[in-house]
Amino acid sequence: MSTQRTKLDKITLDIIENALRNARHEMDAVVFRSAMSPVIREQHDAFPMICTPDGRMVVGQFGSYISGFIKEWKRGIHPGDIFLTSDPYKCQAAISHINDWLVLMPIFRDGELIGWASQFGHTLDIGGPVPGSLPTDATTIYGEGVRIPPVKLFDQGRLNEDVLDLILNNSRTPEMNYFDLMAIVAGCRTAARRVLELCDRFGKETVMEAFEALLDRTYRAMSQLIVKNLPEEPVSFEDYVDDDGRGNGPYKMKLTIWREGDHGYFDWTGTDPQAPGPINFYLSEEMFKMFIGVYLIMVFDPQILFNDGFYPLLHIIIPEGSLLRPKFPAALGCRTHALARLFDVLGGALGRQAPELTTAAGYGTSPYLLYNGYDENGEFFHLMEISFGGIPGRPVDDGLDAHSWWPLFENIPTEYLESYYPLTIEQYGSMIDSGGAGFHRGGNGVIKVYRFEADGEIAIHDDRERSHPWGVLGGLPGAPSSKLLIRKNGERVPLPSKVSCVKVEKGDRLIYVTAGAGGWKDPLDRPPEKVQKDVIRKLVSLEKARRDYGVVLDPKTLEIDHRATESLRAKMRRERGPVPTFTFGPTPEPIGVMAEYYSRKAREETAGAGVGDRRA
Amino acid sequence: MAYRLGIDVGGTFTDLLLLDVQSGKTFLVKTPSTPQDPSVGIMEGIERICQVAGLSPGEIAQVLHGTTVATNAVLEGKGARVGLLTTEGYRYILHLARSWTPGPLFGWIIMKKPEPLAAIEDTREVEERLSPTGEVVRPLNEEKVRRDIIDLRDRGIESLTVSLLHSYANPVHERRIKELAAELCPDIPISISSEILPEFREYERTLTTVMNAYVKPKVRSYFLNFERKLREAGINSVVNVVRSDGGLMTLRAAQDRPVYGLLSGPAGGVVAAAYVGRLAGHPSVLSLDMGGTSTDVALTRNGQLTIARETKVGYYPVKSPSVDVQTIGAGGGSIAHVPEVTGALRVGPQSAGADPGPACYGRGGQEATVTDANLVLGHLPPQLVGGEMSLDVDAAHRAVERIGRRLGLDVHQAAQGILDIVNENMFGALRLVSVERGIDPREFALVAFGGAGPMHANALGRLIGSWPVIIPPDPGVLSALGFLISEFKNEFAQTFIRVMDDRLTLDEVLSTMDRLGEEARQWLIEEGIPPQDQDIRFNIDVRYYRQGYEIPLDVTHDQLRREGLASLKRRFDEIHHQLYGFIPATPMELVNIRAIGVGRIKHFELHKHEPAPGEAAEAIIDQHRIYFDGEFIPTPIYDRSRLGVGHQLTGPAIITQYDTTTVVLPGYQCTVDEYLNLLIRPQT
Repeated sequence: MSTQRTKLDKITLDIIENALRNARHEMDAVVFRSAMSPVIREQHDAFPMICTPDGRMVVGQFGSYISGFIKEWKRGIHPGDIFLTSDPYKCQAAISHINDWLVLMPIFRDGELIGWASQFGHTLDIGGPVPGSLPTDATTIYGEGVRIPPVKLFDQGRLNEDVLDLILNNSRTPEMNYFDLMAIVAGCRTAARRVLELCDRFGKETVMEAFEALLDRTYRAMSQLIVKNLPEEPVSFEDYVDDDGRGNGPYKMKLTIWREGDHGYFDWTGTDPQAPGPINFYLSEEMFKMFIGVYLIMVFDPQILFNDGFYPLLHIIIPEGSLLRPKFPAALGCRTHALARLFDVLGGALGRQAPELTTAAGYGTSPYLLYNGYDENGEFFHLMEISFGGIPGRPVDDGLDAHSWWPLFENIPTEYLESYYPLTIEQYGSMIDSGGAGFHRGGNGVIKVYRFEADGEIAIHDDRERSHPWGVLGGLPGAPSSKLLIRKNGERVPLPSKVSCVKVEKGDRLIYVTAGAGGWKDPLDRPPEKVQKDVIRKLVSLEKARRDYGVVLDPKTLEIDHRATESLRAKMRRERGPVPTFTFGPTPEPIGVMAEYYSRKAREETAGAGVGDRRA
Repeated sequence: MAYRLGIDVGGTFTDLLLLDVQSGKTFLVKTPSTPQDPSVGIMEGIERICQVAGLSPGEIAQVLHGTTVATNAVLEGKGARVGLLTTEGYRYILHLARSWTPGPLFGWIIMKKPEPLAAIEDTREVEERLSPTGEVVRPLNEEKVRRDIIDLRDRGIESLTVSLLHSYANPVHERRIKELAAELCPDIPISISSEILPEFREYERTLTTVMNAYVKPKVRSYFLNFERKLREAGINSVVNVVRSDGGLMTLRAAQDRPVYGLLSGPAGGVVAAAYVGRLAGHPSVLSLDMGGTSTDVALTRNGQLTIARETKVGYYPVKSPSVDVQTIGAGGGSIAHVPEVTGALRVGPQSAGADPGPACYGRGGQEATVTDANLVLGHLPPQLVGGEMSLDVDAAHRAVERIGRRLGLDVHQAAQGILDIVNENMFGALRLVSVERGIDPREFALVAFGGAGPMHANALGRLIGSWPVIIPPDPGVLSALGFLISEFKNEFAQTFIRVMDDRLTLDEVLSTMDRLGEEARQWLIEEGIPPQDQDIRFNIDVRYYRQGYEIPLDVTHDQLRREGLASLKRRFDEIHHQLYGFIPATPMELVNIRAIGVGRIKHFELHKHEPAPGEAAEAIIDQHRIYFDGEFIPTPIYDRSRLGVGHQLTGPAIITQYDTTTVVLPGYQCTVDEYLNLLIRPQT
């Protein structure tokens, strides 16, 4: 082509940065368009990356894990090789549960390794006792499904069909997994092509130099941000994951942060020991550094290409045997709750230094519904749906109602669900009053009402059922989550937030309510007109308007009674006193509803009926 | 004598292009737009163009119009108050949207989400339910609907939308509600989703229908006013409006379904770029329309426009057939900045707009823009030929210097950097429409237009390898040219989700095609298209079973009968392999069947010019030292109006004309073809 430049100037660097950003979006586009399972295709649970030869991430989302892989892999890396793994314990937690299939592709130029393209995605089922391979009561990783150690999916360009057959043979959804895997491979190949084209344009040396310079740029940026945003005296923040799906809990996550010079320290000492159930989140240090970096840098230059460059500036301490560093073979399947809570805790800890930039806590997990069975044609169906909840009250605005805290995820259209699965979605909306009050209101959670149109089994993965999403700077906590199964005969069965293998019959209904989010700043300062609008829109009730906002509305006309509002607000201010930085809900009691549920389950199992049966 | 008049109302200028159909001669007039009442600017333009061409308004046989009235109403939030009727349980459908928040992680912290186009308090739930295959599961509660419509009317809604679940499969409830509403509030326009977008995915269908309702009152009064003014001026011609997919519709259709015309301007540009390419002997073109705040790129292969099913208007994803245009926030007014923490050079997406505009406009803008960078390097002369505005070179220097200081670069290096970055951004957009879809851009020509396109075209050709780079004679008014050559077009689609197995027969597919084809034919008759100019095309969207995205395949009745349904699978496998590198052993499913009724317009050719005497050198009006890739090179400045057919020049060169400037880089040559296009190629 053209524009050969011999040395790396600043502008070339910026051009390469843009080109890499485009390549990353192209990887996404290729995967979303060719994948099959709704969780990748409609909901976008897949993550791309491009790395240096030694495995540092130049562009991507999660931070690199390839150095760990390179250290472990002893059987040579050749052009045309493509690796696959799903074992968190064999890649230093690059992925954190076995549903995530990770594909790694070395990029060669003239026989020399010049980088890596990589991507992973959540596959629907990889065997084990429960459809979806996310049993809520597993006690070891052996009880979850098939673990794929690092293997060559392609050996110097040739598809390793034996390996593929072996893996797919263990899945209940082999076709979908095949599609999703090949889509991920297609995404990696796209990235590799783009990197090679950059070498055509600028020369290999320049591109490699640019990789280093981009890493260095982030290093320097982060060094400033650390000094600005981290305290010299240690500060701590803690929050809870409700339970482990086996009746134990709650689990405390505690983070202490400080800085020494321009180095930051993030210490998880004080976090509870690992759980017997599968909620352990084997936290990769690299990934956590990336989360910290993204959080800090987002506000200052949102266009930056996130990369690994700043890693030497951050120091992570995670106690062995804790919820975040469990010992093999601890079960990991339901790690999504601790993963999400980590962001709440990180935000809270950083917020102690710069409260004005802080947001409240959100719904704090990725709520799933799994539903499987045989439809009227006798064909096996299996659905996994990710739901959303309240987005925290933020400095710029109210929290969004029923939106995704994880970027780029989308809901599955009702018309899609009803066309392909034996389901009717009777209601999909915003759960009134679930957002915590605030000057900027916390977002409401989701209320979704499913009617099952075929006999089958469901599983639920949710949290924040007992630990409330906290409010900040006077904002109040959001409401917790809840699930209610209403049998065809009218019997009402409250379900816990983590449960699998619940039998449902055609005509049963499930009311799935996710948590709201905490509010931001003092609700007594929120303009009454905004509160009134929320009441008209049934986002906030008349009672909550009075109780939490001190706004008095006429119950019939919904007109504001300004005089009554002023005096009520004055009274509330007097009685309340100054607002705290954080307002937590009640600290979760050790197991309440849960204990009831598990004793009931035990009774039913003894009686040979019901909720806990396993598919053979 | 038959004259055809294209009118493109943009934000700053209203472009008029008059075509003498017999001779292929065109006449051009630009007038300042009058946003208060756009017809004022239009009528002034018509008066002037009739003078220039020496005809009376009565001689104009057809007016073709594209307008941004609807788009602006959306972007500025100035549409109607819309009432929405949804299926029970879905009152919050617009409020929840698809739950999407932007990347990267924590993107939600700074996300600004606009209010829904129909407010929650103006949304009512309808007691009814259909199954995905269209059976009535729960009958319509008409009493409640009546009460709700009356209530919404009394609350003061100005436009009404009905969008019910699975209405694409059976419109029975939506149609009944439409009847009830027409009875209860005859003055309020009604949009129902099964008419506007009979395709599945409820959020997008509802949003698109609501957007239609949102802009309808404004568009309607605009067109009524426009038509009245035309008639008053003695123009009794046919008036047609350009659709987002480059087709034409009647004034009436434009008032009923304004959402189909949201992107008429960009569509006109793409249609014209394809036409210009074909005349120049290149039926496959990439088009690049670079304006002040944004750039639109699109791809046309063998004369066939690429039609997208979804496009974005501001925040909102709208599903109406549109020329597949990628828009990025990169234009002449894009602002260069250097964020403190990273020290990287960023260009856009913020724009200085027209006011205050780039620093060199001297209207108080302090920040360096792409236009300032072009001026600093000399790619843009301080005074355009025949242009009314002269540019403040010193102000541009000061602004770009500030950027340079932050980067440790001198002013020229910084300016070059700004151009390189903005070019890279546009390069990314060009790749999206080509490379990412498995298409090799080196087999395409690049047609560049818009005020800033010709300045960047050569550099982009170099990046993407598309030759020749074609600069049409009037790059500032290409959309209006596109309007002149648009065809009548309308789509008739049916969602038809069926796995291709033994249960699906060829006859079912063919009979659905026939029915849709008949609807299309009826429409063409209603539009008054004579039989010999009617054309009906079909395509079928297919995907592998349960895959999320469809690929449209063009089909014909005969070919399907001859080759069977299996031929669709073979073609799809091949395309899928080309795009994604694998063919699964999964059955294919059909998703939508679509008939496209096309009314061909009378073919015409633009006027060909005779070879010009003399040489290009005679058009040189000045010489400057201009900065290219790190050094100053003495560079001739040409006056485009003095360049004629067959003239040839080599870069570096700057070619100026009324409203734009073309840059020819060192190492490239430029020739003038018989339509007065500039063709730029690498020097041989």
